[in-house]
Amino acid sequence: MNEYVVEMKGIVKTFGEVQAVKQGEFTLRKGEIHSLIGENGAGKSTMMKLLYGMYPTNRGEILIKGQVMENLTPKLAIEHGVGMVHQEFMLVNELTVLENIILGFEPRKGLKIDFEKARKEVTHYIEQYDMEVQLDKKVSQISVGEAQRVEIIKTLMRGADIIILDEPTAVLTPQEARRLFEILDNLKKDQKSLVFISHKLNEVMEISDRISVMRQGIHMGTVNKEETSPLDLTKRMIGREVFLNIDKAYGKAGKTILEVRDVWVSSQKETSKIRGMSLAVKEGEIVGIAGIDGNGQSELAEAITGLRKVEKGTVLLNGQDITNLKPRAVREAGLAHIPEDRNTRGLNRAMTIEENLVAVRLDQPPFTNKHLLNKASHDTYAAEMISQFDIRPTDYRLPTSSLSGGNAQKVVVAREVSMNKKLLIASQPTRGVDVGAIELIRNTLEQAKKQGAGILLISAELEEIISLSDRIVVVHEGKITGEMPASEANENNLGLLMMGGHDKTGEISEKGKAGEHTV
Amino acid sequence: MSQSMKGLRKIVITMLVALGIGALFIMAIGENPLDAYIALFKGAFNGKLRLGTTLAGFTPLLLTSAAFAVAAQAGAFNVGVEGEVFLGGITAAYIGINWTFLPKPLLYLACFLGAMVIAAAWAFIPAALKAFYGVSEVCTTILMNTVAVYITSYLVSGPMSAGTANPQTLPVNVTLFQFMKPSSANLGILIAIGVVLLVIFMLHKTNWGYKIRTVGTNPAHADYVGISSRKVFIGSMMLSGMLGGIAGCIEVLGVHGYFLNNFATGLGSNGMLAALIVKSNMIFTPFMAFFLAVLKAGAMGMQQTTGVPKALVDTITAVFIIIATMETAFQFNSRRKKKKEEQA
Repeated sequence: MNEYVVEMKGIVKTFGEVQAVKQGEFTLRKGEIHSLIGENGAGKSTMMKLLYGMYPTNRGEILIKGQVMENLTPKLAIEHGVGMVHQEFMLVNELTVLENIILGFEPRKGLKIDFEKARKEVTHYIEQYDMEVQLDKKVSQISVGEAQRVEIIKTLMRGADIIILDEPTAVLTPQEARRLFEILDNLKKDQKSLVFISHKLNEVMEISDRISVMRQGIHMGTVNKEETSPLDLTKRMIGREVFLNIDKAYGKAGKTILEVRDVWVSSQKETSKIRGMSLAVKEGEIVGIAGIDGNGQSELAEAITGLRKVEKGTVLLNGQDITNLKPRAVREAGLAHIPEDRNTRGLNRAMTIEENLVAVRLDQPPFTNKHLLNKASHDTYAAEMISQFDIRPTDYRLPTSSLSGGNAQKVVVAREVSMNKKLLIASQPTRGVDVGAIELIRNTLEQAKKQGAGILLISAELEEIISLSDRIVVVHEGKITGEMPASEANENNLGLLMMGGHDKTGEISEKGKAGEHTV
Repeated sequence: MSQSMKGLRKIVITMLVALGIGALFIMAIGENPLDAYIALFKGAFNGKLRLGTTLAGFTPLLLTSAAFAVAAQAGAFNVGVEGEVFLGGITAAYIGINWTFLPKPLLYLACFLGAMVIAAAWAFIPAALKAFYGVSEVCTTILMNTVAVYITSYLVSGPMSAGTANPQTLPVNVTLFQFMKPSSANLGILIAIGVVLLVIFMLHKTNWGYKIRTVGTNPAHADYVGISSRKVFIGSMMLSGMLGGIAGCIEVLGVHGYFLNNFATGLGSNGMLAALIVKSNMIFTPFMAFFLAVLKAGAMGMQQTTGVPKALVDTITAVFIIIATMETAFQFNSRRKKKKEEQA
């Protein structure tokens, strides 16, 4: 009956008030590659960190090789054969590859480290799985792909037969990813059990035996690869919840307010996260950016608003070149921005509701009086915003850290929308907020549009994109794969484009299998 | 307001506990703690000379502690205040000795402005290194302290030396009135109090203050709303430097009347301690600076009248810091406990 090497049942994990995993289920068979997919923040990494013992679970049961694990720690997990290759490598740059691999459990000969024995052991693994690693180079001198192989060898040396890889391909070039897949195949043939975390569907379809999908912390099902398609997986990942219909005033779109021309942007981890995007937003229209999370949407918003460097290309706001201007200059040129992360960017949680509301108006009268803060006008304005946007509690002297997600987001929306700028960038405006706040925020956006603002809407909720936008632009791996009026859009044709295909024939999965990077 | 009342209560309790532990040490060396503390108190307040000495010691401490705290408001850890005091002092001495072409009132002004400018420029270096290259300002300011001290040592032993046995400069041509002679308490104390009040006002009532507090609590948010976290960081470090420079200037014009080699040793670090104990709260920092000044000034009196060595004061200060840090640890602990209970 013990067919699984890992079983995770009814897992719940909360961080403070955030529920990272609400209902997690996962099983792993011996000698399989099991992919865990979902958007950013769906709880994939958290689930696996729980399995590796990095955090305690709030509820639920974890079994490794049939044994119930209580108070799991990384040490215990390693003892039971679990190894994890993290997104950020944990290597010492100044040591050689060999030294890194044996660090912490060096084989000894008397008082000295037995490098001969270590080298023999490591070489054994390298040959067995065809890994190609130069043992005597320093880690600072090797490529990212090689460093990743070093991490895999490290887990093997510690006796792992269950190996978790957390988004291993995010940092790799396509060629390196190919090498990795060969190695994973070799490991699988040797009866190692692998967990592969990703949100890139073509990769998942290529190497998995089974695939589990998570959305917003909930297990959305596990399927065999043969029984699914990228389209089916996309639907499970992004879900469909239609509970709101705004009567959309299609429209009298005016002149072009935002123009993005062939923009290239790097992210923290990947160079060229955005590879040549061009798009335009007109006055009085909402342009929705659809795409699976992590395909360059965040970087696009940051690049336009001056928070991230544009490597190549230009951004025009109302005809003015705002490429690589400071955030302040960009704002002054006529832009407001609802950022995707309200807790770090959107709000200063150490300050009060009032102070957060005035943050972007600080230097303009009547909020300032020759460098002095005009407290009276702050009070009036804060009271006005609180009643207009129904922010609760209504005491503006409270710190924003005491607000619920929905009310915190309302503070951000109130501050940005009330600027009445010609262009509004709205990133994930309703992520993680309650239904009431969703409705208020969506109506606010609609209202802003009616008053002539151009809105660039980035959202992981396909339903939100379809119901709010006039035009929809679809992105995949940093490129635009399609554009259509919202009236023609549905989950199927958007879903296809989100996976990178521009044809509507559904042959995308075959291309994915062939391993070509479709654009 | 209740929040700050709570903070005040905590500080008073910490103070009492520190004194209590100090009492245990005094008993351990066979003295009466009550006598020792009375002697300490008398040593700090009893008589014109003693009170004046306490005030004279409090003046620079008030400025250096505020200097550390104001940098902390923007998220900077400025260990470099001491170097800034030295450089401010030597600059004030140079101007005070040589710029005699200025009428007296302007000469005063020139001394203070010169001290502020040089000290701020000195603070700009680690601030810019941090803001643009991510070099830890803790390291650079510690290192630059030594550099600053040696620069002044060189100047006072060489080009600016008065030729006396002790390395010191010629007397300056403007001095701050000493109102409690024979102690060296001087009008600088009013300047210091005024400056610190101005800084507190600036932090809470002006745009710039708002920006400093924003950058100190959430730099990512600051950049997003269009407040340049780099500029504000550098600005607050320079302001911190200016306060240090003023402290140096007051020491030279008010206490000594000339620049004395190594005159400010410990001023920066003691100010830092005062600020650290109250977590750089701008309102409480001056009070803590005063408390430390009293301890330091009373220590000599205590040593003379009882057998308790004045080093005991350093022990009390250290205990103080330990308790203040422990409090953070306790908070962390109880939070963890609470979490565990929730999980169970």
